[in-house]
Amino acid sequence: MAQAAPVIQPDLELTYEIPEQVTLLTDAWRRIRRNRLALVGGVIIVLLFVVALISIVWTPYPTWLQAVGPTYQPPSAAHPLGLDQAGRDILSRIMGGALITIQVGIGSAVILCLIGIPLGLLAGFYRGQVDTTISFFINIWYGIPDLLVALILVFVLSDALHLIPRGVLVIVIAFSLTRWMDVARLVRGQALALREREFVEAARMSGARDAALLFRHIFPNALGPIIVQATFAIPAAVLFEAFLSFLGLGLPPPTPSWGAMASDGYHGMDFAPHIVLAPTIALSITLMAFNWLGDGLRDAFDPRMRR
Amino acid sequence: MQDLRVQFDVSGGPITAVDGISFEIDRGEIVGIVGESGSGKTMTALSLLRLIPEPGKITSGRILYGEKDVVEMTDEEIREFRGNEVAMIFQDPMTSLNPVLRVGFQIEEAMAAHSRFTRKQAHDRVVPMLQRVRIPAAKDRVRDYPHQFSGGMRQRGMIAMGVSNEPSLLIADEPTTALDVTVQASIIELLRDLSRELRAAVILITHNMALVASLCNRVIVMYAGRIVEQGPTRAIFKNPQHPYTWSLLRSMPRVDEVEKERLISIRGLPPDLGRMPPGCKFHPRCKFRVDRCLTEEPPLGEVGPGQDARCWVLMKNIENPEAEALK
Repeated sequence: MAQAAPVIQPDLELTYEIPEQVTLLTDAWRRIRRNRLALVGGVIIVLLFVVALISIVWTPYPTWLQAVGPTYQPPSAAHPLGLDQAGRDILSRIMGGALITIQVGIGSAVILCLIGIPLGLLAGFYRGQVDTTISFFINIWYGIPDLLVALILVFVLSDALHLIPRGVLVIVIAFSLTRWMDVARLVRGQALALREREFVEAARMSGARDAALLFRHIFPNALGPIIVQATFAIPAAVLFEAFLSFLGLGLPPPTPSWGAMASDGYHGMDFAPHIVLAPTIALSITLMAFNWLGDGLRDAFDPRMRR
Repeated sequence: MQDLRVQFDVSGGPITAVDGISFEIDRGEIVGIVGESGSGKTMTALSLLRLIPEPGKITSGRILYGEKDVVEMTDEEIREFRGNEVAMIFQDPMTSLNPVLRVGFQIEEAMAAHSRFTRKQAHDRVVPMLQRVRIPAAKDRVRDYPHQFSGGMRQRGMIAMGVSNEPSLLIADEPTTALDVTVQASIIELLRDLSRELRAAVILITHNMALVASLCNRVIVMYAGRIVEQGPTRAIFKNPQHPYTWSLLRSMPRVDEVEKERLISIRGLPPDLGRMPPGCKFHPRCKFRVDRCLTEEPPLGEVGPGQDARCWVLMKNIENPEAEALK
């Protein structure tokens, strides 16, 4: 090519079939549809949402109403899941518990990301002193026994200082404050890798501001792993709430928390196992569903799995 | 650009990647910078935008753009300068576009980063920009993602992004190496036309001499972080004076001289920038060296109208260089 060949002016109004638009999300969706277990998880989660929404407007009995029948009554036609030690309808309480579970799960994932993503982006993008400081805190936080700190946080924030009433919010905050490191560390790693990519360099050369580099170029490209990580944070938060409530440190009665319900029924386990079984089975199914979906998403967003 | 020096502070002491480079470039001019890998071509270009990777630093020299010194600019000034006054086009269009954003949006962003256009104007300019770089069906293509573009189209997209702010200097760092030959030709044609339309200066970084011959008005030959020869393209190709330039040209196969003789290769490797030979940096590989080359580094001296070379010997003083070189 000693001499550049003459170029024929292409027809600018040329029309032809434009290939189908494939975005990160549609691509991931296409792959997750083929993953049966993830799909089952997804369906269960959708059901959970539906039940939770229904429970806002309607449950067979009010979740708090005691003595709708004999206490410890096993499942029957009128009460498909039976009654608990205070004579409350367990089906109603399971439905109400679904709402609590979703609030805790989604709320935690959101707050977790709000803390972890900015810290991770800053650490990975600016490196140096900023990274050293943030990484230092990440490592320190990892060393702290999270359950203990969360317990203390719940106690201090709502019981000692009365800053936040004992409820879903305080649990979500306590959980997020002790578990933000996974997301931060993941995002930091992504940012470190992405900042060296040529398109980031190219954007920098065309005079893009740091904020534009971070939010237009680095963050969207790290979105896949972030979604996966957040999906795995949801069951952890749900389990955390159930655990706290089981210990009696979570949501105050008569909130229909699954963990509290299991705790209530546990004294009558030998003669009325349905009181414990209903919330624990509901909890197990929910946790599995989120884990399956998380696994499926991880595979779907993994570029090496591409077709 | 005057007496530019870029050093990398590494554990084994500072390494000088670019040593005392001076040149100037006018509007509408197309200058080619050629040299082997590691000769400092890209570092020279990056220093124009003050984007030398860590731990590199500009340790001396000035880069004057109009009245302003790039080295002295504040961070905000340099950000406004990048993309607005000087745009850069990369070697590999495959990786230079953000894979998760639509091409049109990325071009819009490039304009929105500067104060020349409002967001609305930027938005409206995207399709005309794509048409200008001759992307067919530009109206539909703006909504495509980079992976839906072919290599040549992505490079056109990059060029569109580069020229969208109407910069007065365009730096093309091996813009065609990643593309196949037919696409190369059309990209080159496009660059030439754009530089004419925008009255912009172009710096073309390449090791492709043919590209230089077809596009550039002036050539700068770099070796080991120094300019070893510079001058008008015609003069350099007809009468190269530095043995390095001469060998570069003789190492290229030529269609019109097929049966004539063997190609002349340049033996050895470019010097390690950490352990530079004394005297002329090219002498260990030079077939025409004299004793003086071993101890004293030659200055860049005038050898013809507008042509300078950094050599004690000069090719015009050598009879029958081919025979000499093949010995």
